[in-house]
Amino acid sequence: MAEGGVPAAAPTGPGPLRDRFASTTLHILGIALAAVSLGMLACALLEAATSRRDTMALGASALVAGAAGGLLWHLTVPGAIRKRDIFATVAWTWILTTVVGALPFMLAGTFAVPGAGFVEQVVNSVFESASGFSASGSTVLTDFESPGRGLMMYRQLTHWYGGMGVVVLAVAVLPFLGVGGLELITAEAPGTTSDRLTPRVSETARRLWMVYIGFTACATVAFFAADGFSSLYDAVAHAFTLAATGGFSVHADSIGHYDSVAVETVVIVFMVLGGASFSLHWRAVATGRLPHHRNSEFRSYLGVLAVASAVIVILVWLESGLPLGSAIRGAVFTVVSLGTSTGLSNATGPGSPGDYVTWVAGAQLVLLFLMVVGGCTGSTSGGIKVMRMQVLGLVMLRSVQHSQTPRAVIPIRLGRDTVSENVVSRVAGFFLLHFLLVIAGLLAVTALGGELETSLGSVVSALGNMGPALGEAGPTSNYAVAFSQPARLVLALLMIVGRLEILPVLLAVVPYVYRVRALTRAARR
Amino acid sequence: MSWALASIVDAGLVLGVVTMLCGLAGIGDDSTDAVAFACVGAVLAALAAVARRRVAPPERPGTGRVFAGIGLLWTALVMFGTVLYAGSGTLARLDDALVESAAGFTTTSLTLLDAAEASRSVLLFRAATSWVGGLMAVWIGVVTLPAVLRSTALIGYTTGRRGLDLVPSASTGQRRVLLLYSGFTAACVVAYLLTGLGVTDALVVGLGTASTGGFTGRADSLAGCGGATQAVAGAGMFLAGAGIFVVWWIARGRLRSLWRSQELRTFVVLLAAATAAMGLHRGVGWGEAAFMAVSAVSTTGFAVVDWTGWGTATTVIMLVAAGIGSMMGSPGGGMRVMRVQLLMGSAGGELRRQLDPYAVVLVRRNDEALSQRTLDRLGGHQVAYVVLVGVGALLLGVSGVSLLGSVWGSVSAVTTFGPAVGEIGAFGLLDGVDRAERLALVPLMMGGRMSVPPVLAGLGLVMNWYKAAVRRGRFSARLALRRLEALAESRSGDG
Repeated sequence: MAEGGVPAAAPTGPGPLRDRFASTTLHILGIALAAVSLGMLACALLEAATSRRDTMALGASALVAGAAGGLLWHLTVPGAIRKRDIFATVAWTWILTTVVGALPFMLAGTFAVPGAGFVEQVVNSVFESASGFSASGSTVLTDFESPGRGLMMYRQLTHWYGGMGVVVLAVAVLPFLGVGGLELITAEAPGTTSDRLTPRVSETARRLWMVYIGFTACATVAFFAADGFSSLYDAVAHAFTLAATGGFSVHADSIGHYDSVAVETVVIVFMVLGGASFSLHWRAVATGRLPHHRNSEFRSYLGVLAVASAVIVILVWLESGLPLGSAIRGAVFTVVSLGTSTGLSNATGPGSPGDYVTWVAGAQLVLLFLMVVGGCTGSTSGGIKVMRMQVLGLVMLRSVQHSQTPRAVIPIRLGRDTVSENVVSRVAGFFLLHFLLVIAGLLAVTALGGELETSLGSVVSALGNMGPALGEAGPTSNYAVAFSQPARLVLALLMIVGRLEILPVLLAVVPYVYRVRALTRAARR
Repeated sequence: MSWALASIVDAGLVLGVVTMLCGLAGIGDDSTDAVAFACVGAVLAALAAVARRRVAPPERPGTGRVFAGIGLLWTALVMFGTVLYAGSGTLARLDDALVESAAGFTTTSLTLLDAAEASRSVLLFRAATSWVGGLMAVWIGVVTLPAVLRSTALIGYTTGRRGLDLVPSASTGQRRVLLLYSGFTAACVVAYLLTGLGVTDALVVGLGTASTGGFTGRADSLAGCGGATQAVAGAGMFLAGAGIFVVWWIARGRLRSLWRSQELRTFVVLLAAATAAMGLHRGVGWGEAAFMAVSAVSTTGFAVVDWTGWGTATTVIMLVAAGIGSMMGSPGGGMRVMRVQLLMGSAGGELRRQLDPYAVVLVRRNDEALSQRTLDRLGGHQVAYVVLVGVGALLLGVSGVSLLGSVWGSVSAVTTFGPAVGEIGAFGLLDGVDRAERLALVPLMMGGRMSVPPVLAGLGLVMNWYKAAVRRGRFSARLALRRLEALAESRSGDG
């Protein structure tokens, strides 16, 4: 057993692997970069076949990422995974993948607008990359016409990679990680635990990716059909977003560009499915039966979406004076989009029915609540997650019962399952950390010049990987307008922190603290 | 329910005497309010004195009953204030009177009264409502929960071992707290008189300082007052926010206890951090920053400047400071420094357990290790607190307040701070707020003042009633069904 109770993976591989440097972090980073470089290469080919504007940028980026990833993959071998290294592995893989993933935007000069210096271009590229890989969907892109199709597809592809997770992808190709691999998936995946679909962890990761790919294919076909078979490019691009519950679109006005009820309906259905657990989807495919209705989290998730939609429809209809049909269309789409942490918008312009920043404060507060909650555990969505909110609600209910009978032993039950007290404590701790991060983020972003309402919405949105926020960062606006460069970097970091559900990033420094301690002790001796 | 009745009688006695004094102080003023206040106060005090001899609290009341009693006590106080405001004609509408009374008794610095127009008796009575509310809050936190309930499950709401020093028994504790609180108030009033404030102003501001109520006799709070008055207010707010134990230690000359108090050290650090963070902001003076920081942390609500225009980061600092709030044993509100410390310790323990699932992480309070069960219960209460803020913001948002005004207003009302960014403003004036929005603030102030457990107990009672009603309904339905069946059988037998 390795330190921290996690069994060690094979410290060295067979044959020639014995001479390589043992580092799980670098090995997984190598695989992740190699995978991202393949995406860049595919997009470079698409660019070459269409507009050819950004082919060189994408090709060069693919080369750099591929070379770096290939070298790391080839020169290292997974070492023993200690508990304290797991979080660092996941956090550093994400941070460095985000930085390398910003290369195409930098090299293509996507953000080289008049008046923007080099630093601003770098900041914007990193922000866009962080937003992409974390499946947030916040954007600083103002000109949607200039970038070529390949680059825009790469932007969508960052969502797709980030949705299921680059570490899950890496684990899928590492057959000998064992239980350490499951810990890696758990550290990256949204939720309190990770479902083990098969006894082999790499097989579990592979199946999750298979479901993900199948989901993307279905979304592509449905979107293509709903859009009248007009653009396969649009369908694929939006399918990437829908599978990852991301929020990027190839159009400046997002789904509002189509102004079509059919497209919006398809998008709503896939957003709802994207916000549900992929383990449930796998079981549905594997058994041929739908297990969703038996899952208490999924039922609560649908309940939250339905109640929020009803409340907002009433508020918007009564207060904003919109026709009932427009109110329903705008409210339901927005609720599902923000409730699943997707962030797509059906607003056709400022002040249109889907432009929720013009709605009454009560409706916006409900949306803020949805941004905090997010989707189900095991899904690609962000936020605190419905299951955690269920546990917190039951903890509160238990407090109500304890006020009458202080000595009673009251277990917390979700459906037929009893939630262990360890999980309850973990959920309470997570909620507190999330709350503290919102406050810390709000302090940082407002100190860097953000307007209060916009900052509040954006910090909640970034931590929940939502995309659009409130105020000046609403669905028809842009983060470049609303925030200074340092504030954008803070938000980018919050998106990564939110995507990894806080703990990996907070605990990423722990191995280095241990190493410094060991060095200090050695120096003393 | 005799525990609740005994508490109401005690509160009624204090309130009656105070109201009578307010009325007497106003005689000679050209207002008729003075006589009304004096008479009502005298009648209430007499009734309470008679009732006090007849109502004896039970030896060990149950937790649910104590919490229900606390809820009832606050409701009775607010209702009395409402009737007096509306009956005396100070506020023409009953809902306005309710808001003013709730703001007073919950020590929230929100007002509808025009201080320039109000008579001396009314100004004094308004300040006195805060004072009585503050006294009740300290009694409940320092005497009732630790000495009457003796429940370790409420550790976040009681004062632990150190409370035994001040409160060896319920009756002694009650007497000592009353003496300390009154002495501290008198010291504040004398200090204000020495800085040159008039008698009425000194009384009003003194009562507002000691109780963390935040009412003054002016529309711009303490903005127009001299530096000496503001310095006294700052020191008074600090002591009031630090709580009755700090006052007790100072009175007894126990400087070591002051130094050893983990909560006091954190309180001072928080205050220093908030002052530094606001003082570094361009255009904000260090004196103003320190004053507003202590006003927010103690949840008093005094203001020397319109701080809502200081910039977004500063207003967020104010929001966080008010959210954390004062120390245990203080009449102030907020989540309380101690509870925040415990929750942070609990969160730190969870981080530690991520690395080592078998680690035994102890969360301590003044060298007292707390059980996981206690921490879980505290966590549940804090979730309820956040839910209360969220529901409050939604209520305000639905009733027409802006998004920022809703969030700020809800936090401010639940923490009993008062002033807020948005419609309410830096001086806590409710003139610009609609009627529905004002009414939405009442349950928030009450819920925040009661620090959640009584609200949960109220919910628990409702749940129990509901369950009992459902059971009764099912039983009645079954009985009716059996009767029908019996009737059908007898008819078929006849046939």
